[in-house]
Amino acid sequence: MSFGKAYKLAVVLTKSQLRGYQRRRLGARLFGDPRIILAADAAVFAVPALLGYGLLSRTLPIAMQNAVGQIEAESLAGMPTAMAFMLILFGILGEISQPIQSSSTDLINWLPISPGEYVAGSTMSLSYTYSFMLAFLIGATLGPAIVFNMLPTWVVAAVMTLLSLFMGACVVELLRALTNRISSSFYKRSGRSGIFVRLLLTILVLVFFQLLFSGNIIIYLLQGLMLTVRAAWFVPVVWPSLAVLSVSQGDILAISTFALLTLVFVIALFGFAVRARAVYWVPVPVSIRLTNQTYHPSTEAKNFLGLGVAESAIFRKDMRSLTRRREMARLLAIPFVLAVSLGLSLFPIRGAALPVGAGFYALIPVYVMPVAIFCAIMSMTSIGQEGSAVWNLYVAPITPRQLLKVKLVLPVLLGLAFSVAMLIFLGFVLNITLANFVILLSLSAVIVLGECALGLFFAAKFADFRDIIRSRFVSAWGSLFGTLISLILVGITASPILISIVIHGSIGNEYVVLSCAIGLIIFLVSWRLAEQQMAKLLREILV
Amino acid sequence: MKIIVGIMKPDSGNIEVLGKDVVKDPTGVKGIVGFVPESPRLYEFLSGVEYLDFVADVHGLDSAAKRERITDFLKALDLEGKENELIHGYSQGMKQKLAIIAGLLHRPQILVMDEPLNSLDPRTARIVKDLIHKLRDDGVPTIFSTHVLEIADAICDRVVIMDNGRVVEEGSTGELKEKAGSPGSTLEEVFLKLTGSSDTREIVEALSR
Repeated sequence: MSFGKAYKLAVVLTKSQLRGYQRRRLGARLFGDPRIILAADAAVFAVPALLGYGLLSRTLPIAMQNAVGQIEAESLAGMPTAMAFMLILFGILGEISQPIQSSSTDLINWLPISPGEYVAGSTMSLSYTYSFMLAFLIGATLGPAIVFNMLPTWVVAAVMTLLSLFMGACVVELLRALTNRISSSFYKRSGRSGIFVRLLLTILVLVFFQLLFSGNIIIYLLQGLMLTVRAAWFVPVVWPSLAVLSVSQGDILAISTFALLTLVFVIALFGFAVRARAVYWVPVPVSIRLTNQTYHPSTEAKNFLGLGVAESAIFRKDMRSLTRRREMARLLAIPFVLAVSLGLSLFPIRGAALPVGAGFYALIPVYVMPVAIFCAIMSMTSIGQEGSAVWNLYVAPITPRQLLKVKLVLPVLLGLAFSVAMLIFLGFVLNITLANFVILLSLSAVIVLGECALGLFFAAKFADFRDIIRSRFVSAWGSLFGTLISLILVGITASPILISIVIHGSIGNEYVVLSCAIGLIIFLVSWRLAEQQMAKLLREILV
Repeated sequence: MKIIVGIMKPDSGNIEVLGKDVVKDPTGVKGIVGFVPESPRLYEFLSGVEYLDFVADVHGLDSAAKRERITDFLKALDLEGKENELIHGYSQGMKQKLAIIAGLLHRPQILVMDEPLNSLDPRTARIVKDLIHKLRDDGVPTIFSTHVLEIADAICDRVVIMDNGRVVEEGSTGELKEKAGSPGSTLEEVFLKLTGSSDTREIVEALSR
């Protein structure tokens, strides 16, 4: 194995990660250089370290010192395991977000690079790309470690976290090779159902990811980890944490044993990953047969929801895109992720035993915001998701209005379905009255329409057609402005209802009508703007 | 080519395709033109037949015409049996065949093809060449770009030689050979002579050192 070749490959892979996002020359020059990661690492290490030390050494009341010291000890011990888990999750998310095109144009497959060199290069690149997490963790724990005289524990924790970073990267490489083979064989046999299972699994992973990063769950896991880590001494992933825990007991033998075991485990994982790459990697994209039936022309969707034949064809294509492309699963997962977040946020409302009415009023923003965010994201990404295949639409005899109409229908349908499902769920949980149910439904309907039309304006104005890993389908600025303006307009739409609650303590019918009227005006203005922007976009192809 | 198809704005001047202005009526032009781009990017999450069904619907073909045209083309270009597989798993040649079928499905009145024979097997390439001749006989002209001048020599009635975005010469292959002062030479030799790039020997010598 040539380490020089592996290093070169690591540099190329890191550059491809960084430069995939940079559209402008200045951005590519500033942020496309791998050294930017080192600069970011230095910043995310130094700032929390200095802040932590500055704050804790001067202003910490004596009463709190024990509690903070305990948190620091738990954090140092939990840090290596958390690092490995985070890297594995990010790695899985990266795999999920990879566009379908990139796997078939992977030049690496045809170059004289051995599996060992590839895995070494890819592991180095992955570890380096996510090294900011390591820098942050060791930076954030350095200040308290100095204040509470835990510097030796911190040093061991830092080394163990670094090893855990490599451990996570090796696991991701292993998973890549295994899932590549399993999914290839699986899809070949299962066809359409295989695609559905993949979609379901992707959504589950994303929801799990969301759960794992919610504040309550992190605290619960950290506490649980401290309680169970000693009992789980035989699980390799907790060995780094055990090495750190042994420092506080001054048990040199245990520190050395668990540190050595960790090192051996990382090397073994690397070996497994190389072996898996050599044996299981399938470089050629697999052929997935959807059906064995003979071709029957599609006619069933004609005039569906007022769409013409051409528009229905685009609608069907977009539906298939949503359910078959793995990078689109992120979008489909949004309602589930939002519903989980909503479910978690409902517990305090229930726990506080608010009266039904008060619970309902508190619920309005909690209900409206996820619906608005979902619709805005779905419509903002609807044009850019065409990718480089967008030329098919450019050469098609369709008008900008036709394209806009069909691009509006899908997010509106999904947004309405999401809002109704949420309403039914909340209706059961919070005993919403029928009148309030109708109010929320009317409000969400106009918000869905307005957000989708506004999202389409941003989709056409800031479309990003690049087929890159973790493509956003809309430029960063477009995404930022779009989300910001969407949220402001939701606030404006809902404001009469909120004003009615503040002034009268209830919702007057006239305020509901006013909210709906504002929502419809926002929809009409946004539609007009989106139409102009779409005509401008279709005038000249960008890719 | 992109300007003819109505997907790129001209810097100056205008183009009419069979009486339709590409800037004023791009949708009308797209309805009568068949376009095959160089290295076509297709919707890889669709199966071959789903993609063709999509293109046919966008062009407004009725069910009977769709079924007949798609089935015939799949059979003729050897894609029968593969039509229900996702395009993602297709070879470059199969994707090129799909793009050619998509360009022809709606019976265009003019064809614009950018290097259409790229990646095609000899049998399919021959079918496409013959089809272009047949379409010409039926009154459907083809504008066709290629860097392989043997292909231009074999297919084209009229050749335009371009160098650095400018027209160097145009005419039938016979006329071009005469203009270059070498009637017995190949079109490639004519091209090299007309564009002043005929001295390739030194480069080859340097490369083979």
